[in-house]
Amino acid sequence: MRTDVRTPSRLLLEQLLERLESGDGLSESICRWQRLPARAARYAPAPAWLEERLTAALARRGIAQLYTHQRHALDALHAGRNVVVVTPTASGKTLCYDLPVLDAIAKDPNARALYVFPTKALAQDQLAALERLADGIDVELRTFTYDGDTPPEARAAIRNAGHVVITNPDMLHTGILPHHTKWVRLFENLRYVVLDELHTYRGVFGSHVANVIRRLRRICAFYGSDPTFIFTSATIANPLDLARRHLGDGDLELVDDDGSPRGEKIVAILNPPVVNAALGIRGSALLFARDLAGQFLSAGIQTIAFTRSRMTAELLLTYLRGHFPYPQYPADMVRGYRGGYLPNERRAIERGLRDGTVRGVVSTNALELGIDIGALDVSVLVGYPGTVASTWQQMGRAGRRESLSAAFLVCTSSPVDQFIARHPEYVLERSAEAGLVNPDNLHLLVSHLKCGAFELPWRREDRFGTEDTPGVLSYLAEQGILHEADERYHWSAEAFPANDVSLRTASTDNVVIIDTSAPRTRVIGEIDRFAAPTRVHDEAIYLHESRQYQVERFDHEHGKAYVRPVDVDYHTDADLAVRIRVLDEFARAERAGHGEVLVSALPTIYKKIRLYTHENVGWGKIHLPESELQTTAFWTFLGERETARLRRDHVEVGIAGLGQLLHGIAPVFLMCDPHDLGVASEVRSPHTSAPTVYLYDAVPGGIGFAERLFRIRDVLLQRSLEHLDGCGCDDGCPSCVGPASALGADVKSATREVLVLLR
Amino acid sequence: MQLRERLAAIPAARGDGRRADPLARLRRPRVPFVTREEHLAIDDLALAVVGRTPPDAMLLEQLGLRGDAPTRWGEILFLDTETSGLAGGAGTYVFLLGTLEIADGEIVVRQHALFDLGQERAFVEEIATYLGRFRACASYNGKRFDLPLLKDRVALHFRATLSVDAAHLDLLHPARRWWRARTGSARLRDLEDRVLMDPREDDLPGDEIPRTYFTFLATGDESLLSPIAAHNRRDLLALVRLADRMCRVVIAAREGRTPLDAYEAFAMAAVFERHGETRAARECLEAAFHDGDAALRRRAALPYARSLELEGAAERAIAVLEQVLTLGDGGSRSWRDSAESRLRRLLRVRAREATRAARTRPRAGRRGFATSP
Repeated sequence: MRTDVRTPSRLLLEQLLERLESGDGLSESICRWQRLPARAARYAPAPAWLEERLTAALARRGIAQLYTHQRHALDALHAGRNVVVVTPTASGKTLCYDLPVLDAIAKDPNARALYVFPTKALAQDQLAALERLADGIDVELRTFTYDGDTPPEARAAIRNAGHVVITNPDMLHTGILPHHTKWVRLFENLRYVVLDELHTYRGVFGSHVANVIRRLRRICAFYGSDPTFIFTSATIANPLDLARRHLGDGDLELVDDDGSPRGEKIVAILNPPVVNAALGIRGSALLFARDLAGQFLSAGIQTIAFTRSRMTAELLLTYLRGHFPYPQYPADMVRGYRGGYLPNERRAIERGLRDGTVRGVVSTNALELGIDIGALDVSVLVGYPGTVASTWQQMGRAGRRESLSAAFLVCTSSPVDQFIARHPEYVLERSAEAGLVNPDNLHLLVSHLKCGAFELPWRREDRFGTEDTPGVLSYLAEQGILHEADERYHWSAEAFPANDVSLRTASTDNVVIIDTSAPRTRVIGEIDRFAAPTRVHDEAIYLHESRQYQVERFDHEHGKAYVRPVDVDYHTDADLAVRIRVLDEFARAERAGHGEVLVSALPTIYKKIRLYTHENVGWGKIHLPESELQTTAFWTFLGERETARLRRDHVEVGIAGLGQLLHGIAPVFLMCDPHDLGVASEVRSPHTSAPTVYLYDAVPGGIGFAERLFRIRDVLLQRSLEHLDGCGCDDGCPSCVGPASALGADVKSATREVLVLLR
Repeated sequence: MQLRERLAAIPAARGDGRRADPLARLRRPRVPFVTREEHLAIDDLALAVVGRTPPDAMLLEQLGLRGDAPTRWGEILFLDTETSGLAGGAGTYVFLLGTLEIADGEIVVRQHALFDLGQERAFVEEIATYLGRFRACASYNGKRFDLPLLKDRVALHFRATLSVDAAHLDLLHPARRWWRARTGSARLRDLEDRVLMDPREDDLPGDEIPRTYFTFLATGDESLLSPIAAHNRRDLLALVRLADRMCRVVIAAREGRTPLDAYEAFAMAAVFERHGETRAARECLEAAFHDGDAALRRRAALPYARSLELEGAAERAIAVLEQVLTLGDGGSRSWRDSAESRLRRLLRVRAREATRAARTRPRAGRRGFATSP
């Protein structure tokens, strides 16, 4: 007999949560268990200026009033101010831009709007939402997505006739701006530009996007339009600042007075118990999550689980399906969802989640962004998603407006996760991280100045970013890339510059990764040249979309790495001999500084590290030349007096341990991936003449991490010390300073001594 | 660090070694742009149709002209551009527009060349004014390349568009169908060599043109432009000669003189079929079937048999199919299946007709199964 699992009830969830909190199963794993109270909605009437047909259509859909934040956004936009809307998932952000855009089009059929979403899937979803809203209104509205999937024969019609064009930053960069002469109607009449999910436009990607927006505004000015920008973002610490960097000049208003209602919610952070105290090894987060999600699913409670990679998503899905075998349970009770699934498959899952036929879903962060899947009862996060903002986005997927919901973060054994397990307040109480961008990174500026020259000749008096624009332009002219004539710089090369600039990487000088196993070789990815020696040296295990590949040959000269898929139980970790030369010190404080540096890295050996247990199971030599990276770095060092108080061997081990520790913790504060940061520990650095730890931006030119670390250095050191003290290992483990076997005996205590002196 | 030092370390800021000549700025072009005009006699190009007999609307349509067909050759502007790249987009300039028109019984070639990028707006204004005189044009791949680029320039500087292509005869498409099988290429230069039998010598390869122009901009050396102008002039002349050649072939085929080349005949049959000229179509198919190689014979057999059947010559249709099936070793399974099924159907019809003829013998002869005409 099939078990009927389609009867969720508040009572059930309540009882289940109670049992989990107080019962035997979970209690020793609970780091934090918090009850967020329910909150009532706050409403405001629709503004009088809003097109009557729109107000009527809203009323027909049961929306008699707006939430306060929606009204606030509408009023600011009506007054011609740009806005950045920062409210949680499912708070009705979409109406904040759909309403003014529809209003403008209803009043002037020539008006145009451009929507920019970070992913194609999101664009499709928003298209459907806008069409639903426009459906009941007697307004002619032609809305199109314009991206890589748009058939060539449809493009001409979209360019001329589309009222709302929905696209992504990459397409704007390569497909729309360089061809602006085909989009005259759009650019002449552009009233609104919507940049949704602003928090995703940070780091290198965000720095590129900010430059694309600069180019967009330049084209608009050329065609005589001055669109109003609407940014929306998940909760981050600096929405106004981030939006400002993307917008440039202009009035900008923050809308964050969320008026949407919330049901009561349990939020908990869980840490699987230690299974091997000596090595500091904890139980698998994945298995822990399976048991947790399984309990909710058995009770018929709609549950979503988030994993950090595609591979873990598939694994968890397999585990859960094993838990609920067919035919006792419906075959589609638990579904997977990730990039790589076919679009209509995804749509079917989204529909199933909305109407309740799909009871459980295991997803990568693909479902984190605003795709409409309705609200679920329980969200289980396997591993810290990397940022506080993502955590709240994913946790926000559970949360009904009237009833109880619950969200759990299950920590893995990575340093960041263990830091959060010991400091739950970092996720739950602290405001989210700041989204950092550095659009004025010279590498990026050069690339976008070239793209801009292709779009319209630069005039001598033009300014683009904070650098000395005329200086860069005249340099490019000397190089023959631009041609100066009549006080203007013209593009003077055959190439199409936007094709050479990928928004997702910083350097134009890349190494492509080529899979040679298929009948026809294919490129599966690319990485920055500087990162290549440690990631794709001969014999390295390269992870791509959670598949393991082994590098057969790295052609350093031509920037190609040839790989083939393998299935092994280890990953590789290269040792780099890194030397830092400080080129320019931007600021100095007591025992710290930041500035421009030249990083020289010589890969020496690689180690094979067994998955999960982190045992060292072998090593090999790497034969590659030294590579250089010019970037920005933050450094902290011990003074002479402090150094003298330490045992000699403790200085060396301690400063190395500190490097590991800071490198593990810093991403928590930077909203970045650990790979975005490099670390170098020097016992006697030429610049400071003292034991020094450098943390540098792993991106040519840097994107602002160094400066940020410099400013928060006191907090960073304090939290690192707390983390070290809270770590249960005996003498170093992968979750704190790294194992003593790698760095030397007494690493934990030596690191602590260094930290205490530094503080 | 100094800006220049920092820029020197950035790969994207590095040129291709073609550095600007610092003195070039002093040697500004004497004029920002020029138009050169050249007059040629129609006889010099040995044209037989173009410029001589009034254009035939059906003929032009058969060659792929869309839009209202002009009534005089003088209304069609032959054009070809040289550009700073093939990618398209707002940063690709048209720096040379070559045009050819037929006026007062002679050929007028004009080359509008831009010497000073800073004066592009005025240049575009001039060529747009000139193009504005025409409502029809002929080109080689102009639908996809030259016209969109020209329109981009006009849109960029004047937010306007062009109507010179209201009727557009793009010879690339018929040329591909007619000649690619034979010549293996549809490049204008190869057709000149293998169809017009007039190989080019000393021609600047098309893919070197953008770089050559940029070198001119950087050095101010005007002598670099003459090979580009020569290339463009040559393309224009080839364009009008190919158009003439196509017209001639169609007219001849209509008059019963089918093309000597079997592939050409086969391609032309499709043109005639589409326009309902069944006799000319059949004759071309016949030529293709008899003169073609085995592969072409297989392709031509079914449409040829069909055209014979429509004409009432079913016996001959049967003979064609039997011949090709007997001779043909090769051919795909599905081709063979359809040829055989067509043959079976024809034989069935013949048998039925024979029975009916036998029953109505007293009044025989009216619509008996025809013998070949």
